Amino acid sequence: MYKHALTGIRVTDFSWVGAGPLTTRFLAECGAEVIKIETHKRPEITRMAPPFKDKEKGIERSGYFSNRNPNKKSISINMNHSRSREVVVPLIEKSDVVINSFSAGQMEKWGLGYEDLKKVKPDIIYIDMPPWGNVGPYIKYKAFGALINSVTGFNYLSGNTDGFPVGTGTNYTDHIPVPTHLAFAIVAALRHRRKTGEGQYIEMPQMQAGIAVTSAVALMDYAANGRIQSRMGCRHPSFAPHGAYKVKGDRKWIAIAVFNNQEWVSLKECMGNPRWAEDQKFATDEGRLANRDELDAQLEKWSSEQDGEELMFDLQKMGVRSGLVYNAKEVIVDIQLQSRGFFVYLDHPEVGITLYTGSPVRMSKTPPGIRKHAPLLGQNTFEVLKNILQLDEVAITELQNEGVLE
Amino acid sequence: MSSLSDIRVLDFGSEMSSYAGKLYADLGADVIHIESPEGDPLRYSGPFYKDKPGRENSLKFLYHNTSKRGIVLDITKQEGKEVFLKLIKTADILIESFPPGYLDELGLSYAYLRKENPRLVHTAITPFGQEGPYCQWKASDLTIMALGGFLYMAGEDDEKPAWAYGEQAYMAGSMYGAVGTIIALYEAERTGEGQFVDVSMQACVATGLENALQYWDLEKTIRRSSSTTEAGYGVYPCKDGYVYIVQMGDNVYLWVPVPKWLREEGVKGSEIISQKEWESTRFRRDAESKRVFREIFESFTMKHDKKFLFEEGQRRGISIAPIFDSKDVYEDPHLNYRQFFKTLFHEVLGGEVCYPGEPYLMEKIPWQIKPAPAFGQHTREILEEIGYSKEQIETLNERGVIYV
Repeated sequence: MYKHALTGIRVTDFSWVGAGPLTTRFLAECGAEVIKIETHKRPEITRMAPPFKDKEKGIERSGYFSNRNPNKKSISINMNHSRSREVVVPLIEKSDVVINSFSAGQMEKWGLGYEDLKKVKPDIIYIDMPPWGNVGPYIKYKAFGALINSVTGFNYLSGNTDGFPVGTGTNYTDHIPVPTHLAFAIVAALRHRRKTGEGQYIEMPQMQAGIAVTSAVALMDYAANGRIQSRMGCRHPSFAPHGAYKVKGDRKWIAIAVFNNQEWVSLKECMGNPRWAEDQKFATDEGRLANRDELDAQLEKWSSEQDGEELMFDLQKMGVRSGLVYNAKEVIVDIQLQSRGFFVYLDHPEVGITLYTGSPVRMSKTPPGIRKHAPLLGQNTFEVLKNILQLDEVAITELQNEGVLE
Repeated sequence: MSSLSDIRVLDFGSEMSSYAGKLYADLGADVIHIESPEGDPLRYSGPFYKDKPGRENSLKFLYHNTSKRGIVLDITKQEGKEVFLKLIKTADILIESFPPGYLDELGLSYAYLRKENPRLVHTAITPFGQEGPYCQWKASDLTIMALGGFLYMAGEDDEKPAWAYGEQAYMAGSMYGAVGTIIALYEAERTGEGQFVDVSMQACVATGLENALQYWDLEKTIRRSSSTTEAGYGVYPCKDGYVYIVQMGDNVYLWVPVPKWLREEGVKGSEIISQKEWESTRFRRDAESKRVFREIFESFTMKHDKKFLFEEGQRRGISIAPIFDSKDVYEDPHLNYRQFFKTLFHEVLGGEVCYPGEPYLMEKIPWQIKPAPAFGQHTREILEEIGYSKEQIETLNERGVIYV
């Protein structure tokens, strides 16, 4: 009957760039029909951002955009046209979820705020995701994921001990913390609607979800103990060795983590029980922690002579927690991820066959899946207007001539 | 008003997966955290409340287990299994992070559990997933971050990568696990049929590489951190710490206010960066541009504190923010205006513990936290609910099957 868990759920998606599109991506993986509202007047930022297929710029060529938007439909509407409501409002009437990631007030300007839409679709699930939330002194401020990482305390806590607080090197909160929390809330709201018939409003303050995931325990530590934790490279506050150690080759490291004496003994054995490692000062958890500068230096002197891949397999054979520090290319060819079928290649009319990441979640009965390449801008305008809004060709052509569908 | 209060989750906790159960518990679900008699290892992990180590004092444990009930149960013993199976019949969801095959060896495989309860959603959150060449590998948060490609991103050029704070591989697994589980539950409530949800933390982490996989696939380029790739993007020191600025491609509306600000402040060199060529990303990515910009900009930022740079920069339409430490976040006027931090009184600690607040605000499903369970706090209550008598509970307690 139903192939996917969210088949039959329709999402009108005004969201842009990162956290919003990644949220609706999950829903689309599970069968929801996600309709992106876009415009040729101002294509969304990631369509214009690299990487591009063969480094050639173009709104259909960006991998930044494509990997966030598979399985979705795209319709082109000039929202600033006075007749755009004739398309958008009926579409929302036939939708279950409406999501946007504009700054506060934009949807209201178009008459598409929650209070407006509740009148035409009383059980709508409506999401605003302002970076700072709807109220408070910062609400007018600009933000990107990288700035959310900064104000949550996460950047301060992540980086090399003497280096800048660089964090993860990405807009992390956009990629996992915010979209997973929001997808969870949306499905909880769908469930609530099924039980009660009620829709609801969801406010997703990105800074708060960011804190919940990243800096929460450090903040509790400050509140309880007055301690301001700081970044410490790859070191662990309680255990050593714990780090990324050089192996043969440029920019090649192996991550090794030792949490008890047993694991230390195994690591020593892998190293051939060198004399320095037999020193009693390294024989206990406390001793290794207290002498970690020397321990790390000795360990790295040894590891830097080793072939990383061989070393990883040897360490694993001995039960030592370890893993190579893979770059993107190595992730793509990793045998474990490949055995899960994590990467998917889809054919796209302009760029041909390119790589998409699949779902990290496997489900035995209703598996999530990436089935359709990211849409061309406006690819589904005609189809959506005809099949969902049941407009005839004359009406559609008229909207087109008036510039509503630009 | 409603909540998730009609859902029961059995949660084997652990440092790897406790956060998944927390998402359910804080929205009102009855989440039962099951611990072995040795206790959840997270209980022994610092930092501790008032810096006093102890089974009830781990801040990490308290955070990840808010709003849950707790039971101590040895499922390796036959009588423990019987208790567990009675609980399974009452449950909607099971969340665990045992090494693949562990529950099978105990005779508690999903194939068996689903016979006892066909609508059960069984979610396993593990480093590499249930199958494949690494599925039995030893792992930690750091090694998963490494194998998922995440660690490599956190550094520039030949610099050693840095580990993200807060065990983000475990968190990513927990978050994706929570999402997959609620989707499976939504399906199970419609069809009466549950399913097995298999989460690989390595794969979760690999979804967080921004555009690095596509950089390789489309341009055959390996990228690392974006934080100093461009003049006017990334971390800059100031008088009392650091600020972060973002540029986004050739969007001049983010760039133009920066040189304008420096001109108006009479900063030496501001006329250099006001020239037209600085408006292009390509120009700003040049090593010499980065050096020149840093010198000019820092001569300004080093005279000001992060609060001023944040407020004045934002007023001017610049995408800039302070790099807050924990004290800054805790005292932040915006979060305090929003009453973000919550304080709970803990009887076992004899004091108040401060927690971060709502990750989202839902109109019809209230978010609310209660203290995490003390060791064995609800064992008796839960066993009574599923029909055990006082005498039976005493016997199980004496035999070390449970702890009350």
